[in-house]
Amino acid sequence: MSATETPTNPLVRMMGQVWGSIFRHGLPTSDKVAARTALTNFFLHIHPVRVKKSAIRVSYTLCLGGLSFFLFIVLTISGLFLMFYYIPSVDQAYQNIKDLQFVATFGLVIRNLHRWAAHAMVITVWLHMARVFYQGAYKPPREFNWTIGTLLLLTTLLLSFSGYLLPWDQLAVWAITVGTNMAKYAPIAGPYTRYIMLGGRNVGQGALIRFYVLHVIALPLIGFLLMVVHFWRVRKDGFTGGL
Amino acid sequence: MATVIGGNGGNGPEGRPPARTRTLPPPQVPSGARGVAGTGPELVTPPLVVRRREEEETVVTFPALIFREFLAGLGIFALLMLISIFVNAPLLQRANTAITPNPAKAPWYFLGLQELLQRFPPIMAGVAFPTFVITGMILTPYLDKNPSRRPQDRKVAVTLFTLYAVLAVAFVVVGVFFRAEAFTWDWLKVLGHPGVNPEV
Repeated sequence: MSATETPTNPLVRMMGQVWGSIFRHGLPTSDKVAARTALTNFFLHIHPVRVKKSAIRVSYTLCLGGLSFFLFIVLTISGLFLMFYYIPSVDQAYQNIKDLQFVATFGLVIRNLHRWAAHAMVITVWLHMARVFYQGAYKPPREFNWTIGTLLLLTTLLLSFSGYLLPWDQLAVWAITVGTNMAKYAPIAGPYTRYIMLGGRNVGQGALIRFYVLHVIALPLIGFLLMVVHFWRVRKDGFTGGL
Repeated sequence: MATVIGGNGGNGPEGRPPARTRTLPPPQVPSGARGVAGTGPELVTPPLVVRRREEEETVVTFPALIFREFLAGLGIFALLMLISIFVNAPLLQRANTAITPNPAKAPWYFLGLQELLQRFPPIMAGVAFPTFVITGMILTPYLDKNPSRRPQDRKVAVTLFTLYAVLAVAFVVVGVFFRAEAFTWDWLKVLGHPGVNPEV
């Protein structure tokens, strides 16, 4: 709202007050206004007010970290929709997926989106790691943030892996069988690890509910916490900037 | 070498160090060596400030960065939406533990591990290699003592990572496209060779 003209209509004036109370500063027409907006906005506060031009060149970051976070949000929202229809039971899960595909409005597109975004996120997170490595952006003072990033990559893989079982089709069950079989080769702990992961000796109801709880609650929470620390440290250490 | 360490190749932890170099007191050099007092830091620090002028330039995050992030997000969302409209996520027959598909494959990002299991004893492929890779990745910044960020100064690091990256991608490609029945090699699989058990 421009401050020069005060509308006479009380309704318009109130609307102006409501708008002004939410968006305290107008469009970023000048650097000063833009800086104030960034400083006072909760969501924009994830970024510093000013950044080095070289650090935000698309050819430098390739947007990979941001895209990974964006895909995490897409997956969270599409996953919420899927949860309305999905029951983690060996008797019902497969039928629920069929219903999503053929009965629920837009169910098919949402499931497809969730699946492809999950694959895309594994790729973007891995490429983000490669980008950071090749640019040496893990060097002091950012050593520990690289470590957190590594844990985030592992969390992403586990999120994708745990979600793989949920449709309860032949692809799901056998991929998880092969995947968890790898765990049993570890000396001493191996067989126990597999038993704990599956909640039994085979991929069955015990495995399904474990993977479901890990997929929709535990791993997203762990991922979220790691992301908060990851972003906070990026914010405090600043962007590395061009080579 | 000393200049590289001191200047961190001009690419050290940004933001503060360059500012710190500017606010350093004039170095203890015999006054005769310097023409004008106050130009001291500039005379001594050239190797420290090797970054180009435009790299020091800053812009306001909002809207410069936010706009790019918005476009990138919109782009990938549109792409994913298009794929989701035209390509359905796979859904095979209902799970049946009595029928083992052939080949039984792990999800694509674990196919590298499955490939290793095919070639090495399980204790190596299933335990030693993954543990080595994960530990190595976590410890990378603590093992790599080279302060430079320029690729030409980091030949060993770049070579090692590239080796890992090429192997990782190659194993996934092989696992997805060239591994057929019983996980054996099949050149024709990539062309849609049906194999014995076409449903998988």
